[in-house]
Amino acid sequence: MEWLKRNQVAAGSIVVLLVGAYVFYAINDNVATSMFKGAWFFAVPLVLGALTGVVGERSGVVNIGIEGQMLVAAFAAFFSAAASGSLVVGILVGMLSGIVMGAFLSLTTVKGLMDQIIAGVVINIVATGLTSFFYRPGKVLSSNMPQWDIPLLSQIPLIGDVFFQTGPIALFALISVPVVHFALFRTRWGLRTRSIGEYPSAADTAGIDVIRMRLVNVTIGGIFAGAAGAFLSMEATAGFERGMTAGRGFLALAILIFGGWRPLRVFAAALFFGFTNALASQLQGVISIPQQFITLLPYLLTLIVLAVAAGRVRAPGAVGQPFVKGEGS
Amino acid sequence: MRSHVKLSAVVAAGLVAALAGCGGSTGPSTGSGGGGTNSAASGDCSSAEVFCVGLVTDVGKVDDKGFNQAAWEGVEQVKGELGAQTKFVETTDPKDYAKNIKQFTDAKYDVIVTVGFLMGDATRAAGKQYPNTKFIGFDQFQADPVVPNVTGLIFHEDQAGYAAGYLAGLMTKSNKIGVVLGQEIPPTQAYAAGYENGAKAANPSVTVSKVYHPASNTAFNDPVWGAGEAKKMLAQGADFIFGAGGNTGNGALQEAAKTAGAGDKIFCIGVDLDQWDTLPAAHPCLITSAEKHEKDGIGELLKAIKGNTIKPGNFFGTAGISPFHDFDSKVPADVKTKVADIVKKLADGSQATGYKAG
Amino acid sequence: MADPRDEPSGADQGVVTTQPTTEATPPPVVPERGAPPPPTGVLGLLVREQSIIVPLVAVVAALLIGALLIRAQGVNPTYAYQTLFTYSFLTADGLQGTFEKMVPLILCGLAVVIPLRVGLFNIGAQGQLMAGAIAAAATAHAVREAPGVIIAVVAMVAGILFGAMWGSIAGALKATRGVHEVISTIMLNSIAAGLIDYLVNGPFKDPSSPYPASYSAPDASRFVPLGVVPIGLPIALVLAVLVAWMLRRTTLGFQFETIGRNRHAASYAGIKLSGMIVLAMAIAGGLAGLAGSVEYLEIDPYRYQDGIAGSLGFDGITIALLARSNPLGTIPAALLVGALRAGSSNLSFNTGLQPEIVDMLLAITLLLVSLPIIAKLIFRRHTAKSSALASSWGS
Repeated sequence: MEWLKRNQVAAGSIVVLLVGAYVFYAINDNVATSMFKGAWFFAVPLVLGALTGVVGERSGVVNIGIEGQMLVAAFAAFFSAAASGSLVVGILVGMLSGIVMGAFLSLTTVKGLMDQIIAGVVINIVATGLTSFFYRPGKVLSSNMPQWDIPLLSQIPLIGDVFFQTGPIALFALISVPVVHFALFRTRWGLRTRSIGEYPSAADTAGIDVIRMRLVNVTIGGIFAGAAGAFLSMEATAGFERGMTAGRGFLALAILIFGGWRPLRVFAAALFFGFTNALASQLQGVISIPQQFITLLPYLLTLIVLAVAAGRVRAPGAVGQPFVKGEGS
Repeated sequence: MRSHVKLSAVVAAGLVAALAGCGGSTGPSTGSGGGGTNSAASGDCSSAEVFCVGLVTDVGKVDDKGFNQAAWEGVEQVKGELGAQTKFVETTDPKDYAKNIKQFTDAKYDVIVTVGFLMGDATRAAGKQYPNTKFIGFDQFQADPVVPNVTGLIFHEDQAGYAAGYLAGLMTKSNKIGVVLGQEIPPTQAYAAGYENGAKAANPSVTVSKVYHPASNTAFNDPVWGAGEAKKMLAQGADFIFGAGGNTGNGALQEAAKTAGAGDKIFCIGVDLDQWDTLPAAHPCLITSAEKHEKDGIGELLKAIKGNTIKPGNFFGTAGISPFHDFDSKVPADVKTKVADIVKKLADGSQATGYKAG
Repeated sequence: MADPRDEPSGADQGVVTTQPTTEATPPPVVPERGAPPPPTGVLGLLVREQSIIVPLVAVVAALLIGALLIRAQGVNPTYAYQTLFTYSFLTADGLQGTFEKMVPLILCGLAVVIPLRVGLFNIGAQGQLMAGAIAAAATAHAVREAPGVIIAVVAMVAGILFGAMWGSIAGALKATRGVHEVISTIMLNSIAAGLIDYLVNGPFKDPSSPYPASYSAPDASRFVPLGVVPIGLPIALVLAVLVAWMLRRTTLGFQFETIGRNRHAASYAGIKLSGMIVLAMAIAGGLAGLAGSVEYLEIDPYRYQDGIAGSLGFDGITIALLARSNPLGTIPAALLVGALRAGSSNLSFNTGLQPEIVDMLLAITLLLVSLPIIAKLIFRRHTAKSSALASSWGS
């Protein structure tokens, strides 16, 4: 209730959007379901990628290497799954490789004091080079990623179809959003994380080991980008292709900022972007204007929404700044 | 300080040793050959006896499951027969087309195959500059005046699309079919138009949903987007998915292959080459492919060059649909007859596709 | 002040250049007043010029590490490097290729450097370059009857203006609505791609081309290289110097720097933030737009068609970072990247290495240039401290 009072606009928009979605569903359940499914399908890697960004940047480390993290994870996940014949191994290796890339980012920037943007760019270039270099065609997965119908929840009209008839990684994304949100804003870990991202010298004074915490957070945060990569090469499709992230890491970055570094808003922003995408492709060939104008709808709408409503977001105070113990920041 | 310098010296020495250590073992002429699968033979291409064929890919690689791969396979297919020495260069930057072609002209190659319409200008320019070298420009329409030593290898994508659409129109149960395309450029437009018109010719009540990827560098390399679009079309009742856009289309095929009912109620159609061979992940639904016989076309032209019967201008390769492979038993006999008939009529020109280039 | 316990430890550990990431790195060197007396003589010179020496050492180290990679592919690294650099620097074709690639790299590098100085991260050089290129193509065709020089000048001016306009959209959104430039430039890249795709398929399409492409630049306006030097190169070099001068010596540059250091302080000092932000993005866009027009006038096929932008906008980021956001630094950075890229297909032709090898070399170089480890290794306590490029990410 208190939350409702504080967030009237947010609550209002949620209600309006839900009502709108169900009205659409009542008019044409088939098209509505497929479009919202399409929106979520598009949003999954963006949400996961952005969560890596949330954890990193809330701790004070900019991550523009999400694209590279996802690409390496997509590569590692698919080829290990193909080699081992086990999807579980693939997913785990994908997540692990995301963590390894996260460790690279944290070691170079937090320990090595390398510029954070440069470290991200290095990750992107190395990822493109490595995955292209070692790519081998002709591998296949031994089986398809299963599709689960979550009991009860999958029976809910629309929402059940969209979110709870799902593959395992999409489900992981769905669960991760509230979990990270809760952890960030309701736990001791979250308080500490936000404090080292906002005002590390104060956190340091309060006895928090800033360096260690940043190392751990940025490393572990890679798990989400890793899952995003596994989603791309194993759940969304069934194969790895060079450069298959196709800019999704950068979109995730945009979604992260769009969502104001808050997991729930990131989720909403990603769904919004996914839905405008689904809308654009649905309208192709239906409206008789050149498809080039329709397909840039998502980008245009995002800019408009940001300009009109949600432009000003505040980044974590110390993001981008290396922390050196004993030096004020 | 001392220990420090020592250590770095050791490291540096190790690296230098690694660098020098192989100095004797691999000499200049024995790389693994371009891209690993290139022939390592190193005859002198400037001598008349050695027939050298070079291939410059469009941005992309010779294992791209698409036209670069088909072109290279076409070259390799006739290599033995022609006794040719072959090599490829993979383009990484579209501004290198001319330079990559020049690698081969400098090495006095006899024939240079260039892949993709973006290289059209560069190929014609090179043709004028090197009149003694033969050029094959895949997907490069040669407008007048033609360059005497440049032959464009062209395919009627609309015919392949038409045949595929005709098959889909005859077989669809839901009367809804879909096509997922790369960026909107003439070849994809031709595929889409042919597919739509073919389907409607076979079955007037069919509706075709089509979607182009937004313009970007990754328009033909976004399988996840293709999969998402196919998912949406399938959910809206389509039972045939035609994926026509490199890896983007391949994503759509893979999605159809994963859908419940794939191979019984849900089918997919590949593009450009027989994707049964290049995309095993689509086997569960891949009934056929709208195929440009690029390998054969390139082989034919290479033989013509060797036999000195090559003509400048445009050479139209054949287009149609690939064998049904495992789906042979699932395609009813009368459908087979009708489709074969259409393919024949398309080839001899008695059946138009309704697609106008430009 | 520094925690004295932190000072000595790491420097004693052997630092292995091949594995910079796994090694425990030395603790940050904090300027300790009076601790080490500034060295004199040759050592002093070296310390003062470490911003030059460190990258040089990093490049050499990267090439050594790259040698291992090349070796692993079964090719003799000495031969590979010899092939690569002989072609890129010592053959006419190769040198011209290197120079041609340098031009847009320098310009896009500058297009990232200037906003960085104001604390903005421009991921939009790609779209700005495309906007400039299409504007150049359209205007060159419109004035095609004019003398070549006029056409070229008009095309370049149009490219600059259009690129500047495209860049300033992001600037204006930032200044007035607070829209983060990272989002807006990413979105604007896609919007530019879509709009231009429409234009080259429709109004701007050359009807004689069977494929979507603009009209080609009139013959008289095309840049003919002076020997191996493309005309764009002196333009880019002059602009790099101009930008350096502007940032270092003019009021505008001072205002940019002030904003970059501390936006609030700048505001108190009476600098108009929003105007400066728009201006910085406009200048950046103009430079990228100029890169687009030069590509149009200078590079075969002299028309706007898919691929004209390649990945130049993102390469600009790499260049700016390699240069540590120093405008003059973009020149050697572009020389290195240009030489690697120009030589890659020849390298691949002669050795069978995949052309991606040069990107790997580039990534390793960027890593080593940026990791403070090398500077620490050489200069230890005299290492200069560098400020973070990412410092204003959140503002």
